[in-house]
Amino acid sequence: MANQIVELDDNGVATGKTGVESTMSYHELNAMINLWDTEGKMQLEKDKLAVRKYFLDHVNQNTVFFHSLKERLDYLVENEYYEKEILDQYSFEFIEELEKLAYSKKFRFAAFMGAYKFYTGYALKTFDGERYLERFEDRVVMVALALAEGKEDIAVSMVEEIIAGRFQPATPTFLNCGKKQRGEFVSCFLLRIEDNMESISRAINSALQLSKRGGGVALNLSNVREYGAPIKKIEGQSSGIIPVMKLLEDSFSYANQLGARQGAGAVYLNAHHPDILRFLDTKRENADEKTRIKTLSIGVVIPDITMHLAKDNEDMYLFSPYDVEKVYGVPFGDISVTEKYQEMVDDGRIRKQKIKARTLFERIAELQFESGYPYVMYEDTVNKANPIEGRINMSNLCSEILQVNTPTTYNADLSYDQIGKDISCNLGSLNIAMAMDGPDFAKTIETSIRALTSVSDQSDIVSVRSISDGNHKSHAIGLGQMNLHGYLAREHIHYGSEEALDFTNIYFYTVVFNAIQASNKIAIERGSAFANFENSTYASGEYFEKYVSQVWEPATEKVKELFAKSGATIPTQNDWKKLKKSVMEHGIYNQNLQAVPPTGSISYINNSTSSIHPIASRIEIRKEGKLGRVYYPAPFLSEDTWDYYDDAYDIGPDKIIDTYAAATQHVDQGLSLTLFFKDTATTRDVNRAQINAWRKGIKTIYYIRIRQQALLGTEVDSCVSCML
Amino acid sequence: MEKIKLVSRPVNWNKIEDPIDMDVWNRLTSNFWLPEKVPISNDIQSWETLKPHEKTLTMHVFTGLTMLDTIQGTIGAAALLPDARTPHEEAVITNIAFMESVHAKSYSSVFSTLCSTADIDEAFRWSEDNPHLQKKAEIILGYYNGDDPLKRKVASTLLESFLFYSGFYLPMYWSSRAKLTNTADLIRLIIRDEAIHGYYIGYKYQLALAEETTARQEEMKGYTYDLLLELYDNEIKYTADLYDGMGLTEDVKKFLRYNGNKALMNLGYDPLFPKDECDVNPAILAALSPNADENHDFFSGSGSSYVIGKHESTTDDDWDF
Repeated sequence: MANQIVELDDNGVATGKTGVESTMSYHELNAMINLWDTEGKMQLEKDKLAVRKYFLDHVNQNTVFFHSLKERLDYLVENEYYEKEILDQYSFEFIEELEKLAYSKKFRFAAFMGAYKFYTGYALKTFDGERYLERFEDRVVMVALALAEGKEDIAVSMVEEIIAGRFQPATPTFLNCGKKQRGEFVSCFLLRIEDNMESISRAINSALQLSKRGGGVALNLSNVREYGAPIKKIEGQSSGIIPVMKLLEDSFSYANQLGARQGAGAVYLNAHHPDILRFLDTKRENADEKTRIKTLSIGVVIPDITMHLAKDNEDMYLFSPYDVEKVYGVPFGDISVTEKYQEMVDDGRIRKQKIKARTLFERIAELQFESGYPYVMYEDTVNKANPIEGRINMSNLCSEILQVNTPTTYNADLSYDQIGKDISCNLGSLNIAMAMDGPDFAKTIETSIRALTSVSDQSDIVSVRSISDGNHKSHAIGLGQMNLHGYLAREHIHYGSEEALDFTNIYFYTVVFNAIQASNKIAIERGSAFANFENSTYASGEYFEKYVSQVWEPATEKVKELFAKSGATIPTQNDWKKLKKSVMEHGIYNQNLQAVPPTGSISYINNSTSSIHPIASRIEIRKEGKLGRVYYPAPFLSEDTWDYYDDAYDIGPDKIIDTYAAATQHVDQGLSLTLFFKDTATTRDVNRAQINAWRKGIKTIYYIRIRQQALLGTEVDSCVSCML
Repeated sequence: MEKIKLVSRPVNWNKIEDPIDMDVWNRLTSNFWLPEKVPISNDIQSWETLKPHEKTLTMHVFTGLTMLDTIQGTIGAAALLPDARTPHEEAVITNIAFMESVHAKSYSSVFSTLCSTADIDEAFRWSEDNPHLQKKAEIILGYYNGDDPLKRKVASTLLESFLFYSGFYLPMYWSSRAKLTNTADLIRLIIRDEAIHGYYIGYKYQLALAEETTARQEEMKGYTYDLLLELYDNEIKYTADLYDGMGLTEDVKKFLRYNGNKALMNLGYDPLFPKDECDVNPAILAALSPNADENHDFFSGSGSSYVIGKHESTTDDDWDF
């Protein structure tokens, strides 16, 4: 936005005296919340001024004006901004009513960050990118119209839920719905790679296609043969997985130049793949340029056996995927290493190498210090908790998607022989504070599940058949949660305390019941369940065992009170018995229901703390490619809640793990879990946290973050984040 | 010089004479980084949105910074070596010298990623011809080559904590306007280092000064303020040369005064410029924070928050499950 820059420059020159707020730009006002005032107080009100200033100086002046809704919609359809087909599903009178409803809620952005994010990233703009064609309310209405697929009552519920901030669709859905020129509604994909050139080249092709559409793609490298493995029986020919990673990294950065959103990718590798140490070393600070991987994220798949070998301080064997596939007839990634470990060790046909198991964990921790990577997926924990038939061998870019996949095979002319099943994920999150405040929690969840299901129904990624086939069969969705810390702070509960864990447990317990119930309702309406439902533990009833055989209720008075004053009803054992019966009879429509993403952008728009993490800082500094440095105060931050906003580094890894463990037991997929350490931590502290996480049943670990305090004497004067 | 003897003394890190040496060494080594870490190429699109005069300014600023880092890496830090009080200090100074060379090289990697060779050559020519930049180098080099160890330290601290900042302003300015944010990450890594360098050399200066006579202490104090003012006068002209075209000069000057005061604090002196003349644009000040409160995801670079970890093996107790 060129005019914005000029305007700011003018301000910069004109101000001369900063401190006079009327002449300060919104950027400067926003930055002031990170600085103490002369009396040493926080200047949170400056952020409200920044929002006001942003609307007055920027948004209002750059919004296209229409005399009426009719004029606006006609213009937007004629000029190919809005999709006609979506509006045509409804009468004009209804759309007008819906707009009135949305505007009657008097929505206001609580933080500058939210407003700025919305207008720079989400609002419909003129094709030259200069002027806005939508306000927040208009976007919400358009999203509701698109997702309700012509059903008026559902459109009304969606507007109610989204505008009240209870439900927030993920970025690609919220950004693209209703627009004529748009990207996909889903943005996260998981692809298998098999051990052959056809599959590798198809994977690169798919990575390009999906990145072009603004997607993030994770790929599983575990099946690909290792460095030095034979090709056509000639020994020492394969160059292993690193060159594949390089190709992928370059593919993502190429597609990144065309799309609005940067391309991003991740690769996962089983800990027992012979290239594992090379894989990790690509993230080394001083790695050679030829092997160094800068922008591709990496994740390690760790089976239970690795933990046990490390416990006994033994060697761990790494197995050649090429040989394993020859011996077992299935790709390496589809084998449970824990189950077959001894068998593979004893099998002379399988080439193997060995390393010290603890060395691997230490190496992982070292790398996490340097780069934050790798992500970790505890393979056996994930598969034990998986209600669906098949194996989960990888996760995605945010490590919260955990679904089964199957391989694709190709003919010699590169056409498909058999199309397997790959994974896409389609997310949206509840704002826990708002959902608890809402009048009808069950309805909030049902509306959310319907919105996500509609996204799945409307998605068709034709360029990658394994993805579109997978989606049509599974209707998998991921309902997430955010603002846990915000809610706890507002209710004067410390993150990770007994009451907080109690709340987290009962909250997620209530969510899972309502989510399954909603999906069951959809299955009944449509008379169909997801493909292969009959072989799931939902169909056998086994899934419900822990809910029908055990009473789940709040352990603390405080949490009882919180639920008593909320619109949520805690399900009883009897409720579960009824639900179990109905599910076994009619099935559920969605193969997967929950996944808790890290929620970046949408939590700012929604004024939430992200995911179910503790805050990284009371005033968060956010840098993104498109945005620059912007400051975001924790929601509900005040003198009153200050003490309940300990940051993640002070809270430490154990309480975060306990919180996630309380939630994980009720979530069918995963939860993005970041661990935070002060720079006094060593690799041993990181390893201990990983062991603790595994013991507590955590499925995946996302980033490791290290905070370094400025050396005494080098801080910036009066900087709030320096003094915290 | 009798200190030369220290060279033949083996450095024993198990016997620390000044714990600050150890602290700073640990900090510096855990902060180690190389420019290849930062995905500068993600800034190419952003670079193309800059107007021609903005690009030129940016390149001039970076050549200026390159020159200062070159001086500091090849001459400055080396000039401090003979005055080291402990063998550990020598080790720290060699680390400082090395990192300064890394900084100098980083600017080149920004150049080579974003600009054409012809533009780069032009910018380097500019730096050789700009009288104020040359003067700045001349003043500092004069003291580095002189024979007063205290004055060398003052000159070095002022360079580290003050003279760089007319240049640092610009990437912080761009970053607060969502431009060249990866370059800003790289500059923030440099600022993170320079903040420690300035602090450390200033600290060593204070130790040495405390051993001097009162008269000598007074002399040094006068000298420090004089030198700062001399550099400040030159810096103002340099700033005007660079920033007048963008109308940012007044704002940069506040930033200079702010950092001038910080440099004096590092040397143990009271601030010179009144606080209300140092009210730096909050967006710049906040962007400067060397702490790691930034939140990153896979769409952003890795930023200035990751460090090289301290290795510690797990024990059997840790694996008790």
